[in-house]
Amino acid sequence: MGLRAWTRGKLGWGGSGADLPIQELRFTVLDTEWTGLDPRRDDIISIGALHMQGSRIELGNTFQELVKPRAILDGRTVVIHGITPSELETRPTIDEVLASFTDFVAGTVLVGHCLSLDLGFLNRDARRSRRVPFRNAAVDTLSLFGWLRRRSLEHRAFTLELPAPSLFDLAAAFEIPVEESHSAIGDAYVTAQLFQRFLPLLQQAGVGSLSGLRRVGDPRRQLANLAASDGHTHF
Amino acid sequence: MLIDEAVRFLSQVPPFQFLEGPLLRELAQSLTMAFHPKGEVILQQDGPISEHLQIILKGGVKITLRPEGGGEEVVVDYRERGETFGLVSLMGGHQRTTIVAVQDTTSYLLPKARFNELVHSHPAITEYLLQFHLTKYADMTSREIQGKSLFLESSDHLLFTAQVGEICQQFTTIVEADTTIRQTARRMVEERQSAALVVGPSGEPIGILTDSDFRARVVAAGQPVDGPVSQVMSHPVVSVDEKDPCFEVVLKMLQCDIDHVAVTREGAIRGVVTNHDFLVLQGRSPLAFSEDIEHQTTLEGLAPVSRKAMSIIGVLLREGARATNIIRIISELNDRVVRKVLEFAERECGPPPVPYCWLALGSEGRKEQTFRTDQDNALIYADVSEVQRAKVAEYFRRFTVYLRNGLVQCGFEACPANYMASNPDWCQPISAWKRYFSTWISEPTPEAVLKSLIFFDFRPLHGDETLAWDLREHFGRLIPDYPVFLGFLANMLVRNRPPLGFFGSVAVERSGEHKDGLNLKIKAVAPLVDIARLFALEKGIQQVSTMDRLEALRGGTSLISDLVDELEYAFEFVTLLRVHHQYRQLEAGQPIDNFIRLDGLSNLERQSLKKAFRLILKVQDQVMDRYKSFII
Repeated sequence: MGLRAWTRGKLGWGGSGADLPIQELRFTVLDTEWTGLDPRRDDIISIGALHMQGSRIELGNTFQELVKPRAILDGRTVVIHGITPSELETRPTIDEVLASFTDFVAGTVLVGHCLSLDLGFLNRDARRSRRVPFRNAAVDTLSLFGWLRRRSLEHRAFTLELPAPSLFDLAAAFEIPVEESHSAIGDAYVTAQLFQRFLPLLQQAGVGSLSGLRRVGDPRRQLANLAASDGHTHF
Repeated sequence: MLIDEAVRFLSQVPPFQFLEGPLLRELAQSLTMAFHPKGEVILQQDGPISEHLQIILKGGVKITLRPEGGGEEVVVDYRERGETFGLVSLMGGHQRTTIVAVQDTTSYLLPKARFNELVHSHPAITEYLLQFHLTKYADMTSREIQGKSLFLESSDHLLFTAQVGEICQQFTTIVEADTTIRQTARRMVEERQSAALVVGPSGEPIGILTDSDFRARVVAAGQPVDGPVSQVMSHPVVSVDEKDPCFEVVLKMLQCDIDHVAVTREGAIRGVVTNHDFLVLQGRSPLAFSEDIEHQTTLEGLAPVSRKAMSIIGVLLREGARATNIIRIISELNDRVVRKVLEFAERECGPPPVPYCWLALGSEGRKEQTFRTDQDNALIYADVSEVQRAKVAEYFRRFTVYLRNGLVQCGFEACPANYMASNPDWCQPISAWKRYFSTWISEPTPEAVLKSLIFFDFRPLHGDETLAWDLREHFGRLIPDYPVFLGFLANMLVRNRPPLGFFGSVAVERSGEHKDGLNLKIKAVAPLVDIARLFALEKGIQQVSTMDRLEALRGGTSLISDLVDELEYAFEFVTLLRVHHQYRQLEAGQPIDNFIRLDGLSNLERQSLKKAFRLILKVQDQVMDRYKSFII
């Protein structure tokens, strides 16, 4: 059985296979940074990821790589990420990084905040490099937030007036410490802790296995979930 | 990044903080991080055992126990940031308690396998975690405080950790008793030694001769140099074992008033250690101060030396001295100043008409002064005939006024409550003193007991000590006949409850000048002193120092005999906190007080303080039980 097939079977990709309880799942929580927001033009410049076994974050097993972009960085990106062009000059190319990243995420469920954006860049680059795109099961913390808020759970974070909360809005609401300097791995760590806080709330709401998690955390549903929870849309 | 954060946290948390950096980093690699929402039952009594040691990063848990055979669940403990849980089931293979998150709680999980490795490579970790003994706590606490010592960069040797063998001169001139003085001097010159040891027939040290002895006893005394060295040597020789800590040797030298000691290894001479060696070791030695004090012949000369002696505390703290040793040295130096002033007073007022005894009271009596506070003293003199009475009283009035003023000049402030010998009430013949104690013991009132406590901790400091022993015997006989007196002491003791709040947290001042402060003297030191005093008086123990009283109670039949270790270490710990706090204030030029801020303490310090408070509570409960008929 190839890796893809194994992943599919294990993680219920395509709706088949065993539906595992959350504590038995392995997650990769990831964050990527880009030179800009346009998938046609911009490049990934860093990838940070870590593993979770069920609801536990593993400290000693992280993935952090800076990536040499195809195009030269412009000043705007330097301001956002604090990464200078010369820092990236000596780094591996996205092709090399994707090779090891594919190994890192093998057999895991992907978790991220606004994950479809990260996946968009990753899969575009995978295709360009003639690699298999990432087809792991995927869960978006923003979708989860919207869904949980719609269930009007009692946690006070859900009563906040946040139409489209950023990762850091949510971190503040859930009392997750955030470091001053942002990095892909740092943001992945914050996302993981947010996800960690959502899990017991999801359990409470009857979501305790992979299928449920995929349903309510579908990256494509983040906007729908949020809009529904707000009663009106800002998009 | 995740690892850095974990390492940063663990390096502030006992017992992990005692691990070396690389090991800590390696340990952090194996950690996972868990989140327990408020109310989550993390471990269930008789349920599956813990697979991890959990170290709380944020939040808190409650540990409860449901007694076997039913009954109401009892709360065993609360744990918070920096504390651990899951250990007992990890080691014992059975989950005996239920652990529930009482707040949203984040913890690091150390896997069982990694924990077991750690236990094997670092047995102290388990010992610490099991907390069977407060002993280890206090030792590590003082080590920790020493480690973060703010005051001075400490590249020099540590007086209190070094053994005397490490600093003693490896080689020393050894001569036999019949060697002539001249030959001895030659040998010392040839061998470049400042002292020679004189040994007996079987090589045992019988005397010592130093450079200064040559000056004083040979040259100045016109001693013929062909005589045997045994005529001019100092003897007997004080010897110490090479493994003795330097501190103990310094104390011995102070007490015996000598500046050389022989160092032995398994009984055989290894060398000599001198005052000078200690000076070199630490820059400024307590011995040097003591000598300075001894050399003074006037009050004007003594005053500045005495005031300067306070700086010695900094040296001692830097050396990582145990708090109880520091206060002993301070007492030793203070005693010398007082004796010196007494010497001047006798010169000034003429010889005393009858024998007298000078008493140090309260903390001075117990040798537990931290920084010089105020004078607490009294004077007993021998009974005199009716005819002489007025004249003798007048002599001691002048004498004690000289003392009060002289001590003020030396930096000991007058006692605001007037517990001073210069107060005629506290300068009395022995028969009057006996009447005082009889009244206090047989007709106690809360106010009188409170006022008299300071006198029960008296210590003869100078003069005719038999007067003091006579008085002590007198009240020692009375106490068993008047149980109501100990009842009063017990009552007072249990009323000063430690400020332990619900969540096991320590309550602090809510407002005022010392907002968020904790009065360490009243809340922590005083109860321990009171506990030791109560049980010492109950058992007729003569000692007055808290540590000595506790030691005397060890292994006996007292209610607290089994708690001696813990009480001693609790006392050691709170004393150290207090000394450090006050020294920092002194260094910063602030007024000295007893208010410490809890947020300025490390995890370990906070935990040790809580332990001390829990111990005090425990003893108070026992006291309440024992003296219940007297508790109001």
